[in-house]
Amino acid sequence: MHLLTTTRDAILAPLQSVAGIVEKRHTLPILSNVLIEKHGEQLTMLATDIEIQIRTTTAGDLGGSDASLTVGARKLQDILRALPDSAEVNLTLDDKRLTVKAGKSRFALQTLPAADYPRMNLPEGEGTRFQVTQKTFKRLLAQVSYAMAQQDIRYYLNGLLVIVDGGELRMVATDGHRLAYAAAPIEADLPRTEVILPRKTVMELARQLGDADDALEVVLAGNQSVFRFGPIELVSKLIDGKFPDYERVIPQNHPTTITFDRAPLLSALSRVAILTSDKFRGVRLVLEDGLLRIVSSNNEQEEAQEELEIDYHGDALDIGFNVTYLLDVLNNVSHEQIEWHLADGNSSALITVPGNAHFKYVVMPMRI
Amino acid sequence: MKRRIAHLDMDAFYASVELLRYPQLRGQPVVIGGRRLSRPDNNARAEDFARLRDYAGRGVVTTATYEARRFGIHSGMGIMKAAQLAPDAILLPADFDAYRHYSRLFKAAVARVAPLIEDRGIDEIYIDLSELPGDTEDIARDIKQSVREATGLSCSIGVSPNKLLSKICSELDKPDGLTILQAEDIQTRIWPLPANRINGIGPKAADKLAGLGIHSIAELAAADLGLLQAHFGGSYAAWLHAAAHGRDERPVVTSSEPKSVSRETTFERDLHPRLNRSELSRIFTDLCMRVADDLARKNVAGRTVGIKLRYEDFQTVTRDSTLPDPVIDGAQIRRAAGECLRRVPLDKRIRLLGVRIGSLCPRSEAVASTDAATQGELDFSE
Repeated sequence: MHLLTTTRDAILAPLQSVAGIVEKRHTLPILSNVLIEKHGEQLTMLATDIEIQIRTTTAGDLGGSDASLTVGARKLQDILRALPDSAEVNLTLDDKRLTVKAGKSRFALQTLPAADYPRMNLPEGEGTRFQVTQKTFKRLLAQVSYAMAQQDIRYYLNGLLVIVDGGELRMVATDGHRLAYAAAPIEADLPRTEVILPRKTVMELARQLGDADDALEVVLAGNQSVFRFGPIELVSKLIDGKFPDYERVIPQNHPTTITFDRAPLLSALSRVAILTSDKFRGVRLVLEDGLLRIVSSNNEQEEAQEELEIDYHGDALDIGFNVTYLLDVLNNVSHEQIEWHLADGNSSALITVPGNAHFKYVVMPMRI
Repeated sequence: MKRRIAHLDMDAFYASVELLRYPQLRGQPVVIGGRRLSRPDNNARAEDFARLRDYAGRGVVTTATYEARRFGIHSGMGIMKAAQLAPDAILLPADFDAYRHYSRLFKAAVARVAPLIEDRGIDEIYIDLSELPGDTEDIARDIKQSVREATGLSCSIGVSPNKLLSKICSELDKPDGLTILQAEDIQTRIWPLPANRINGIGPKAADKLAGLGIHSIAELAAADLGLLQAHFGGSYAAWLHAAAHGRDERPVVTSSEPKSVSRETTFERDLHPRLNRSELSRIFTDLCMRVADDLARKNVAGRTVGIKLRYEDFQTVTRDSTLPDPVIDGAQIRRAAGECLRRVPLDKRIRLLGVRIGSLCPRSEAVASTDAATQGELDFSE
């Protein structure tokens, strides 16, 4: 049965937007597959790992008969990628086998019935709905997502806290050593709603959202969230847990504030980081009158030092930090300058952006 | 070269060791189990021994003699339940020191005949006979004789081309059995057996197979691989298929590192997570400390911390989590195990609590990763 004939990219593009969440190892074999539904001139692809489901519907001149099937996502993707860009691809389904033909190439793939493919139910009820530009949502994700924990036993930290409150959207992530906060206004007036998005969902959104002003529709309802943008609908479960009270750890009255140009500070830290080791990422920041020295050493007795002139006129201060935590924030904010708020060598440091209350980064020092 | 692998299983091991000490109990149903029983003198008369009917408590049967098994008693059964089946059976407390002593004796005796031994626990081993000269049956008889001379105990041996088949064979002729199987005998001797005789097909998999109309190993061997894959996933399906055809290439592993260390305890009475919170917390901390001591004794650290809980209705749950760095001390283990505990429902009384550390590595690897110790923590506490 002839299913469709179209360009390679008309199949590959939607496949790539859903196949990223397909896990390599599964207890349920059908979850390695992608669900393909051909209906008239519409092509729908759907993939899930039970926690997240992505669906995309595209239309085009396809020809052929209607059918639904599931087939190995990675194999189909690898085949399509390996075909020439300009290839015209023909799909036929016969006796549970999907044949992919292009030029002189021919691949016969096993399928499993579409009816057996697990699908996540869309959340019931209204929930909290809002629209925001893809660009804004993506920027906030970039400003905080690197601070998420990874495989932490405090499972609620392996995700990103999203809060909508009145006309504001906030995101918070922390791994217990540092915390990133970012906010943006949205055109809405919503009751306060807090959810924790799983790490994988955050990564997938960061990968797929665009940099333009195109709309992203967000629905938070029950234990699920739905994100609709372009041809894509992403449904994700939420992490059921209590995120720690982030406001408690954002310091309010640190006495010292130093303004840095972001780029030179980032460069200096990157160079000093070369002589730290994977096991020990500590660097020392030594503040003296008008001068910041950044120092690192490793257990082979090698040493690095950088100096930056700064507007600081207080007592000498010597604070250790994990350099990765500093590089992370400097790499992920785009502002020219940052402000560094300090108290003493045992207190957290607060990093903000001048004249902007919408970004905060808190990092605990290291004893070195 | 054709492999000859033996599986040796001691017959009713704990019970048999007890019968060495109390020969006057031979021929009687005897059950080992319970903790707090006093131990009778070696020459006590049969009527002086405790009987199952007298037992009140929550212990389980550790082993039963073949005479007791005839009443339907088996390992893991509650002693009170066993008492209903055989009220007059004799009950003895377990003496693990004695069992370990005899375990060492029988393994040493086997090693004198065939040195390539894989230790599979206190009462069973695999032995690689491939390199030994002589007839398989003669070697196996030598081993049985050597074990008997060293311990006075009998064992059952299965010999076949691999571990999987030998494990099945050693069960076929118990007690004091010897079963030698060639690859060409699989269809006649292995295929008629029920599928759950294969070590690795547990009750759940067996039920699932039965649901597919697969009961015997022959039916499993004939089953469509695609069907198995659809129900069990690729790798387990492939293993099922290979196992049913008697294929198993695993070598006999003569030295082994411990995979995990664990401690668990069944409470005197069921404890409620809320009402008995402080008592549970103390027991939990104590288990973590004892596991930490075990790690120290074995000179290892572990990255996976897990808990096991058995509720009053015997439902058992486990949770574990793998940490970024290996842990060694009790407080670290307590913290990680505490997080695991938050992931289980705590609305029923609990009868058993256990703590387990897996993904073991040399202790030096844990000590080297000191980053965590010097990195400050954000303080979210109220």
